[in-house]
Amino acid sequence: MSLWGLVKRSLRFYWRTNLGVLLAVMVSTAVLTGALVVGDSVRHSLMMMAEARLGATQLALVSQNRFFRAELADELAAELKTKVAPVLQLRGLIANSDGTRLANRVEVLGVDERFFEIGANADGEPFGADCRGGVVLNEPLAERLGVEPGDEVKLRIEKPGLMPREVPLTPASDLSVLLRPTVKAVAGKSQFGRFSLQANQAAPLNVFVPIQWLQENLGHSAQANMLLAAAGHKDSITVEKANAVIGKRWRLADAALELRTLDRQGALEIRSRRIFIDRPLAEAATGAGDHAVGILTYFVNELRLGEKAAPYSMVAAMASAVDASSLIPPDMQDDEILINQWLADDLGAEVGDSIELAYFVVGPMRKLHEQKSGFKVRKVLPMGGPAADRELMPGFPGLADVNNCRDWEPGIPIDLDKIRDKDEAYWDRYRGTPKAFVTLGSGQGMWANRYGNMTAIRYPPGSGPGEDIGRKLLSAVDPGSVGLFFQPVRQRGAKAGGGSSYFGWLFLWMSMFLIVAAVVLTGLLFVFGVESRSEQVGMLLAVGFLPKQVRRLLFIEGGLVALAGAIAGTAAALLYTKVMIYALSAAISGSAMYFHAKAFTLIAGALATVVISLVAIWLTLRKQVSRPARELLAGAAQWQFLSAKRFSRGRIGLAVAAVATVGALVLLAVVAGGDSGAVAGAFFGAGALLLTAGLGLTGALLKMVAGSWKTPMSSLAGLGLRNSTRRSGRSLAVVALLACGIFLIIAVEVFRHDPLAGAERRDSGTGGFALYGESAIGILHDLNTDSGRESMVVDSNVLEDVEIVQLRVRDGDDASCFNLNRAQTPRLLGVQPEQLLKRGSFSFAGTRAGADKETAWDLLNDHEDEDVVPAVGDYPTVKWALGKSLGDEIEYSDEKGRKFRLRLVGMLESSILQGSLIIAEDQFVKRFPSEDGYRVLLIDAPAEKVEAVADHLSARLTDFGLGLTSARQRLAAFSEVESTYLSIFQILGGLGLVLGSVGLGLVVLRNMLERRNELAMLRAVGFNKAALKRMVFYEHSGLMAGGLVCGTAAALVAAGPALKSPGAVVPYLSLALTVAGIALSGVVWIRIATVFALRGKMLEALRNE
Amino acid sequence: MLELVSVAKSYESLGDREGLSVLKDITIKLEQGQALVIVGPSGSGKSTLLNIVGTLDRPSAGRVLFDGRDLAELDDMELARIRNRDIGFVFQLHHLLGQCTVLENVLVPTLVGKGRVSKKEVHQRAVDLLERVGLGGHLLHRPGELSGGERQRVAVVRALINKPRLLLADEPTGSLDEDSSRNIAELLVELNRSEQVTLIVVTHSPGLAERIGRVMELSNGLLKNRSGT
Repeated sequence: MSLWGLVKRSLRFYWRTNLGVLLAVMVSTAVLTGALVVGDSVRHSLMMMAEARLGATQLALVSQNRFFRAELADELAAELKTKVAPVLQLRGLIANSDGTRLANRVEVLGVDERFFEIGANADGEPFGADCRGGVVLNEPLAERLGVEPGDEVKLRIEKPGLMPREVPLTPASDLSVLLRPTVKAVAGKSQFGRFSLQANQAAPLNVFVPIQWLQENLGHSAQANMLLAAAGHKDSITVEKANAVIGKRWRLADAALELRTLDRQGALEIRSRRIFIDRPLAEAATGAGDHAVGILTYFVNELRLGEKAAPYSMVAAMASAVDASSLIPPDMQDDEILINQWLADDLGAEVGDSIELAYFVVGPMRKLHEQKSGFKVRKVLPMGGPAADRELMPGFPGLADVNNCRDWEPGIPIDLDKIRDKDEAYWDRYRGTPKAFVTLGSGQGMWANRYGNMTAIRYPPGSGPGEDIGRKLLSAVDPGSVGLFFQPVRQRGAKAGGGSSYFGWLFLWMSMFLIVAAVVLTGLLFVFGVESRSEQVGMLLAVGFLPKQVRRLLFIEGGLVALAGAIAGTAAALLYTKVMIYALSAAISGSAMYFHAKAFTLIAGALATVVISLVAIWLTLRKQVSRPARELLAGAAQWQFLSAKRFSRGRIGLAVAAVATVGALVLLAVVAGGDSGAVAGAFFGAGALLLTAGLGLTGALLKMVAGSWKTPMSSLAGLGLRNSTRRSGRSLAVVALLACGIFLIIAVEVFRHDPLAGAERRDSGTGGFALYGESAIGILHDLNTDSGRESMVVDSNVLEDVEIVQLRVRDGDDASCFNLNRAQTPRLLGVQPEQLLKRGSFSFAGTRAGADKETAWDLLNDHEDEDVVPAVGDYPTVKWALGKSLGDEIEYSDEKGRKFRLRLVGMLESSILQGSLIIAEDQFVKRFPSEDGYRVLLIDAPAEKVEAVADHLSARLTDFGLGLTSARQRLAAFSEVESTYLSIFQILGGLGLVLGSVGLGLVVLRNMLERRNELAMLRAVGFNKAALKRMVFYEHSGLMAGGLVCGTAAALVAAGPALKSPGAVVPYLSLALTVAGIALSGVVWIRIATVFALRGKMLEALRNE
Repeated sequence: MLELVSVAKSYESLGDREGLSVLKDITIKLEQGQALVIVGPSGSGKSTLLNIVGTLDRPSAGRVLFDGRDLAELDDMELARIRNRDIGFVFQLHHLLGQCTVLENVLVPTLVGKGRVSKKEVHQRAVDLLERVGLGGHLLHRPGELSGGERQRVAVVRALINKPRLLLADEPTGSLDEDSSRNIAELLVELNRSEQVTLIVVTHSPGLAERIGRVMELSNGLLKNRSGT
């Protein structure tokens, strides 16, 4: 026989013990590997989701409200040698034919076959030709509407205007267009139906339409606002390369510019379809030709001289040209004005008179403010000269395209009664010829806005060919400055999916107690196995084996069992993961999760468990085999005589208790005043430390009781207590298992809170708002004012006592707990901080640099650094979805591709704003000037009016695609995910506790079996079975009580902040039932083990001795 | 071969600073092939003395010389080697491995110190010894299938498998009936004579003491020649 043979024999002979160890290792492996595989599966699911939503898309250019030539796609494709698809993407809302089912925030995507080709690289065939001649809905949308191919739908699409909606003088009508197409097909996930550039968990609601059809219906012929570039054949195309090609191929039309020759003067002029020329373009255009003259022409309300006034006129601000033909003299001052003869006649004005200009400027929420400026007449210009230039009027929609003054719709309120016959006559004869001229500086001071500060740039005759000017202009401007830049969407998708690893870790952490419990059980079972063979160990030592040889022998044996357990556990892990994935899929709405196990993960999980088990086994063996052979042979290992030295070891427990208690106090002191998340974490940590302290104290008590030989025990309970000290390590393991399990279950249970408790309060997660609304199309007006309500056709009576906070929206990744991706570019909301500050809405969990939480909204107005924008998010968004902390920064690109940083200055308690970061509106507008209107509404209405307000707003703002939900429901939905996580945590903790109970049972059984002789002796001296049972009960119930007390006390400390938080509902009944259940299960185990151990004729055991 | 010079052993005990003195000034000398029986009341330190001789314990004072080498100077590895090659142990309880057959149990000591004797040779010796003690027909039986006396005979054979020069038996018949005790005693005497194994037996059994010959009594920690022997 060889050593190996001996190992094999032992494995077989002690199969029961080994089976126990094997099962414990199997559980450890299944849980540990399962947790890792859950992480793998989540990552894999997100990657699959990214594949499904991006197809072969590598880069994307999204210019939103800026439109460029769809042809650019072909040009880029040729240069980049890859597929590039133009897309016209707009927001809209859709309903079934009878309007009973509605989806109010859908993506309308005008696409052609190139889009399908990019989608064809996704898993499956795209819908291809089905798109032509109708619309294709993606599956989630078709399901929501309950429609099938052949059904008619009502599709309302945001109608992009020529000018941004919030540009002064933009007509507010025709915001959307209603179409009634037929559904041609329903695109599944494998057919590119899930196309989206945002890494969101929830499936997008997509309507695919032929791009040409959409262009025609919206008046944007041959234009697009999105490009998708597929990965190249050989190497992936880079953002830099793609952007460089744009710089090479773009044309003036792609920047919404046109270069025209003015017939009358032979001069060249640059204009913008957007009326106001973007500043970078204007600057470049000014430098693109010699003697370029910048022009800003504006529509003023009146020109007044004393009692006389000319209403509604064009006034041009111009730079002075260097040549003699310059309309504006070089020495003209900013307070001087040139007027044409018609105006001079009308007002009776002469050189030197003061004329007052009244004009509207547009503030936030399209609020018009009339302002006035005074000028001194420098000169009166004749009507026949260069001043009589009707081309100076930009193509203001509603003005330039009407023949009659009374048909004007300039987007500002016009009092038609003020228009005189002579004004009509002027319009008929001179159209929009400016009646007055000021310096460009003066004009820009009055009328420049976020969209630009010029309406035209002119080049005098002889400035050279238009092509040269155009080329020079384009080469001087970064296309990104007008939104023409690619973004690495695939790379971001991979990052977002990869960032989900935190979820894997979270799950692993949640499983930790179960793993620890299984490992402790492994150790206990192995210890029992080795202890039962202590005489064998002694014999082997006596016949000349070295302790290390014996250790190796047993280690190999234990290692093989652990390995077998790990292999079985790996198989079990697959099943366990499938169950978990199923549960998580049900918990996290949006999309299914797919099981995916990597071989590496399985091997790593199994090996990790084997290593952990081997460490536990090795530690056991070190202690066990280090005993002298004579002790082992004499069975003395069963009964360790306590020496003075052993007694002193009780001090170690006391020291552990003291250090852990001090640690807990220090931890709490350090985070005092920090954000509530950190405080909660610290309390949890302090609770865990106090748990350790409790266990240290228990260990010390066991030692002290064991050492108190001089005090004779005087009762059965005393004997039981003394017995529990017999195996102090074993007893402590039982206390620790129970205490840890109870700690977790109670701490987690207390963390549950009713999200709706106090939800009506302004400092709650609802912010005191009754309704939360999101619209597909931006609402331009202030719904709190009568004029704004009137503009939106909303009844002020219904909205009496209703306050609405309107927020701007920059679409981005959903950074809420519904999204398992790590949001890379979270959705941004722009708010006027004063509104929320004044209301005292929401509570701050923490602020940067300890700023006052009461006034923390004001931190959004802190603009010290040009490149840094202060931002606020709620705790789950910042901590969990983004993985950030206060003070951290997130890099973001504005709509012109310029990088800036969002600095997290405050964290709200969990709120209805979850999923987005909030910045100040002025910063929002500065970074995203093209994002028109307000798409999120927070509505505070008296309780009794909520329903009526919701109905009214929904009805009146249907065309905007407004969807309203109860703020309480929204908060509850977020809380539900948190609650699901807590439930998973508790279930796993509960399973750990079951193992802990099994451990208790095993310890009781083991204690009893190895003391059968002792129990027999007690029987021999007159103990009856009932007395023995009582003694055993006292012995082990003491351990159980120790575990319950340690775990409960520590858990209550850990849950301190949660108990104090708003909405905290301490579930006393369920907690009491939990503790009672644990105690009951412990009693049952003790009972079973006692009955098992005391059965049979015990006195025979005595005789055998 | 074996010499104990003024060996003493004491244990610490709770509440007793001086401790418990088990052995005091023990001095004995044994040559190869000699046999010694140590008797004495329970708790007199017989097993402790045997453990010290068998290198399972160390004396608090005095020296134990084995072939002239002071065991105190040897490290654990050398002591284990001596235990394996030169000393055989027979305990009151047989401590057989339940998972192994009779033959395997006998071979256990050969699993360490490999290479000294060939596997075949040692296997044959185990079979021979087992046949010699009347267990030739039980080679493949498990300990659980043997009687108490048979088990103890297996334990004796296990102690002899490495041809020890010193055989230590601690109450070898303590848990056996009369017939079995007699058989074991005869076996030990025979082995002592035929194999020239030095034998130290601790026993309560007068019969066993009688058969082996020289008897010393351990009392109050002191070892004295028994009167009449």
